[in-house]
Amino acid sequence: MKSGYQIVGKRVNRVDALAKALGKAKFTSDFKRQDMLIGKALFAKFPHAIIKGVDTAKAEQLEGVQAVLTAKDLPGRNGYGILVPDKPVIAEKKTKYEGDAVALVAAVSEEIAKKALGLIEVEYEVLPAYDDPRQAMKDDAIHIHEAHPAADKGNILTTVALDSGDVEKAFREADIIIENSYETPMVDHAYMETDVCMAEPDPLTGGLTLCSPQQAVYATKRCLAPVFGIPQNKIRTFCPIVGGGFGGKEDSVLDVSAMAGVLALKTKRPVYFELDREEVFRTTGKRHATYIKHRMAATKDGKITAVDVETILDKGAYTSMGGLNNPLMAVTQRTAMYAGGTYFIPNARARSHSVFTNHPYSCAFRGFGAPQAMFAVECQIDELAKALNMDPIELRLKNILRHGDRTIFGQVMKENRGLGLEECITKVKGRMDWDKSLDQGNGPVKKGKGIAVFMYGTGIPLLFEGASCYVNLELDGSVSVAVAATEMGQGIVTALTQTAAEALGVRYEDVNVTYSDTATAPDCGPTVGSRAAVVVGNAVLDGCNKLRERMLSVASKEFKKDPRDMDIKQGEVFIVGKPETTMPLAAIVSKAFITQVPLAAVGTWYPPQPSFRAEDGQGEPMHAYTFGVQAVEVEVDTETGELSVTRSVLACDVGKAINPSLVEGQMEGGAAMGIGWAILEEGFMNKGVMENASFHNFLIPTIKDLPELESIIVEHPNDLGPYGAKGIGEPPLIATAPAIRNAVCNALGISINTIPLTAVRILAAVKNQQAVGGGN
Amino acid sequence: MAKKIQFILNGNTVEVMVGETELLVDVLRDKFRLTGTKKACGTGDCGACTVLLNKEAVRSCIILAPMVDGKEVLTIEGLGDEKNVHPIQQAFVDAGAVQCGYCTPAMILTAKAVLDINHDPSDEEIKTALSGNLCRCTGYSKIFQAVKNAAKAMNLKR
Repeated sequence: MKSGYQIVGKRVNRVDALAKALGKAKFTSDFKRQDMLIGKALFAKFPHAIIKGVDTAKAEQLEGVQAVLTAKDLPGRNGYGILVPDKPVIAEKKTKYEGDAVALVAAVSEEIAKKALGLIEVEYEVLPAYDDPRQAMKDDAIHIHEAHPAADKGNILTTVALDSGDVEKAFREADIIIENSYETPMVDHAYMETDVCMAEPDPLTGGLTLCSPQQAVYATKRCLAPVFGIPQNKIRTFCPIVGGGFGGKEDSVLDVSAMAGVLALKTKRPVYFELDREEVFRTTGKRHATYIKHRMAATKDGKITAVDVETILDKGAYTSMGGLNNPLMAVTQRTAMYAGGTYFIPNARARSHSVFTNHPYSCAFRGFGAPQAMFAVECQIDELAKALNMDPIELRLKNILRHGDRTIFGQVMKENRGLGLEECITKVKGRMDWDKSLDQGNGPVKKGKGIAVFMYGTGIPLLFEGASCYVNLELDGSVSVAVAATEMGQGIVTALTQTAAEALGVRYEDVNVTYSDTATAPDCGPTVGSRAAVVVGNAVLDGCNKLRERMLSVASKEFKKDPRDMDIKQGEVFIVGKPETTMPLAAIVSKAFITQVPLAAVGTWYPPQPSFRAEDGQGEPMHAYTFGVQAVEVEVDTETGELSVTRSVLACDVGKAINPSLVEGQMEGGAAMGIGWAILEEGFMNKGVMENASFHNFLIPTIKDLPELESIIVEHPNDLGPYGAKGIGEPPLIATAPAIRNAVCNALGISINTIPLTAVRILAAVKNQQAVGGGN
Repeated sequence: MAKKIQFILNGNTVEVMVGETELLVDVLRDKFRLTGTKKACGTGDCGACTVLLNKEAVRSCIILAPMVDGKEVLTIEGLGDEKNVHPIQQAFVDAGAVQCGYCTPAMILTAKAVLDINHDPSDEEIKTALSGNLCRCTGYSKIFQAVKNAAKAMNLKR
């Protein structure tokens, strides 16, 4: 692996940081214009009901109202979705959750639009609403979708299976079996920028332009073209910088864009459609809540021999990214794939059922099913350690995947793709003073420490994988790169700027990366799955390398040297070993320009073709995996139930940190989000109605809820990644919740298997323990 | 009923017609096109709409516009620009405290409010000051560091 990079690996400031700090960087809603109509939706009054009739007459007569739409007024298919088009733009016969629109309004002002919504009369026949997928999957449950285009059976969208080895035999022969049930909550992404779309018909083409914060400009137009009845090549989808996504804006963009788009087509006017925060909570996607039964078999000396896991996922009302039998590789499948954690386990069985309820649709959310699966398995490991009276780190080291080991889904681990888990564990153990016991004192506050480990594959194979981009050399020696990826805070534009500058040998300041616009860049796949810096990064590298070769070929004629003896650094072309013989790259580019050498290149990259069998969940889906370890210290007040996370150390093997500052940003932000999921966040659903649809009672961490978040970057290069990189967007939160749960159990000597670990939940467990007089 | 109000906005005296129930955030964004002030919750919970009203950090999404009549309002656009970057803004850039940037202007103004009256804040005082501003990206560690660095930089200038 080449070392001595000029820009890769350096902590350069983000390209967009100053404009953001000055308040000048514009987000979608900052481009709102006075000539735009205001679009609004009348959302379902009842989460599960039959729509008997919708009367819009009074609303239509209100002065200033330009359009009122119901399901019968749509220009194309009344259905969309990333995997299957099962979500209506406007509900026609039934409402399935409180985010279903029953009518849309466009008016000259927000005030009039809201008034018009109040004038629409809807007659409902209310049906019982399902909050619990375990109830909804019963044979006698009302079918939420009367006829779903893809569901397996009733409210069960899909059941994913994973099988390897002989599970029955392994459990028969086990020295010890650990069996527990775990629950994880439905939570909101809580990105700071609410969802919004500006839709504008294009009279020149008969097409439509949609500006909306999102994570996948090409997927958006592909999903929505049938809704508008417009071919994909006449739809332009784009966005400026995005105020956080975390997986949610892969889906919510479809909701607001569909509604804004049909109103714009109807009125032939530009339409501004924004969800307020309460609407974001009630209507947009969430993390799948899960109910997991986990059995683990082991020998008495601590070798895990088998896992048997059943996971029930709360799908909410629509498929979204939940998964189907084909394509398979979505959230449901990932909960099965990661059910054995980061361990070598020769026998495994996993069944994951995705079940419709009357909740907001569950979608992609940082970790894509892995956090739920890893929560259960990492709690189980600690229970096994307790039962065997073994140190949790020692037990993990005995079982972690090493070079040549096979995962429960059949992938053979390879050191050349980066296998830094053991180094992460060793470093965290040292930093935490793991073997030193905590001073407990005599008060009601108990201290504990906990650890958890994770793995997470880079990319989204078998959904879509691969990337293209444009790279263009300008005559002044500067470089333009165009990608369709989204800048949502993670720093992809900065990382790609560094990647391009390094590859072409120009200065960081001389590269400009434009982004997230189907009018300017080819498809690079969605900005999800921790894939952009790696997969799109490789495409940028490819485009830059093509241009570099062309320029060195031009330069070789000038210098009368073999191109292989020449190099470009800091925008200067020179003969290797003779830095005094330089010529500005701009001069070479100008030479190329007049000698018919093209200055533009399409960069592309595809990972090795993934393999996967749906029948037993075996294959080699991802080309590389990111590994990591989270350790925490906690304090638990046994009188109030209050929990504080007092220390957090996270180590991640990222292959190569293109920019360590950005990587730390992902690690710190991920740990914080993980802490929120573990101790605070929970959507309270009552018969399909969200009872805490605001930041006042849906609590996410403030600066006071978090300790200093320590990060350790470990680099075991991925030989297929750009400069060795692996994905780091999602992984950092995966091990946080189990680490905290294990620390709480360590502090209290009792096991709590449901998160979030709120004061109420902890106090109940403490009281319960006191009542039965158990515990230690 | 619309009403004419006059106030000092980013150092300049301005006049504008506002409705009785119009919110300060909407007036700043829609009438003055000062879009650095963000509206992210509308209920005063997230802090993204923070501006300084007579040097005090307030949530402009729960302040009625007529209430600023005769007062002084500072938004992020009045704090600094490319040629005159405020030390807090520079500290945020240098510490890697900016990710998506949606909470950043409010976070910076909140920091200014505390650093202007407390030149040597303790760690706890910084955290208390920032505890009403939500950020979903950073985990606050680099924001906290940026504010500490900014306090030092501002003291050097004093």
